[in-house]
Amino acid sequence: MLNEMLYRMEEVFWHELSDCAPWKTEFVGIDFIQSQDIKGANEDEVIRSCIARIKAAGLVEDIGFSIGGNGILLKLQVRGCQLMLKETLLRKSGIKPYNCPVANMIRDQLIEKLGYETTYLADMAADEKADGCAVKVAIYATPEKIGAVSDWSAE
Amino acid sequence: MQDILDVMTSRKSIRRYKPDPVPDDMLDKILESARWAPTGENYQPWRFIVVRDQETRNKIGDLAQVGSGSRMTAWYCLGHMQERFAGIQDPEKRAKVLRFMYSGEVSAFAKQSPVVIAVIGTLMEGSVDVPYDLSAAIENMLLMAHAQGLGGCWVHGPVAATRDAKKFKEILGIPAGMGEYKVVAYVSIGWPAEARKFPRPKKNLEELVYWERFGQTERPRHG
Repeated sequence: MLNEMLYRMEEVFWHELSDCAPWKTEFVGIDFIQSQDIKGANEDEVIRSCIARIKAAGLVEDIGFSIGGNGILLKLQVRGCQLMLKETLLRKSGIKPYNCPVANMIRDQLIEKLGYETTYLADMAADEKADGCAVKVAIYATPEKIGAVSDWSAE
Repeated sequence: MQDILDVMTSRKSIRRYKPDPVPDDMLDKILESARWAPTGENYQPWRFIVVRDQETRNKIGDLAQVGSGSRMTAWYCLGHMQERFAGIQDPEKRAKVLRFMYSGEVSAFAKQSPVVIAVIGTLMEGSVDVPYDLSAAIENMLLMAHAQGLGGCWVHGPVAATRDAKKFKEILGIPAGMGEYKVVAYVSIGWPAEARKFPRPKKNLEELVYWERFGQTERPRHG
């Protein structure tokens, strides 16, 4: 039922805002992660701590991650996500899935715990058959990281 | 009186400004034009914060630069920006334009524009048309600025992301609650220091207009 409700919310949100909708939904999920006392002295520790809590809550089976692209590309491989049905329903209605609460949680904690300047959900590829999502998040530790471009297709 | 279509077709977004101040009487006309924009049920949900203070404009410019730069850096890394600017033939010029975009410099001009007007809407008075009313007010302001020889630019990007909008509210002391005020955009105003090409390329009406039903491009005879 939760997925159907979220799907309807995201569908109408997309209808109202189109490509701007993902920028508006970046707080979806942060209340949970902010209640989890995430700790870590660097991005690796913070991300691992987030993943452990998200898995323990039963939202996903597993999340793999890597950081590349001059330190600004965070790649997440989410498997067995409880929200996959919402993405399937969105795609059936002609909308590319655009809001990943799991990524939102990690983005939030990089900002809140490590003082990152900003983040941006760059791409989200949901694969219902493989029951997984490949998510690309741009993470900017400092303003100077903005403009540190590279070719992410080579990553 | 100048034909209003001439004002509309000769207006362009100005992002480079001379340092000369904008006189109060010209600014007042711009604000007055906003007040007369169409508004559902005459709710007038718009509020305007006029900012001349350099330090505040610097903060807004920095926020805008980070907002645009963070997105455009990612778009470049994904190859989207290169596609968008493939029409620029000279590789050096193309690279320069792309750097200007993904660095976020493209959006930092609030620092140079003598006036920034934040356009916000109250969500507490029952209007169901807040973003639309505010957009109409912005259009009026841009046309009035242009009609007076000033330049302006409608800037939405820096307040488009929820976290950025929150920062924008903090800069200007706008109540932070999501149920109180919505920040739709800001408008930069000043004396143009650039003469952009115009008219800009626009789609033909034939591509944009359907007659009587969606998709019907043939104009019916009448009368």
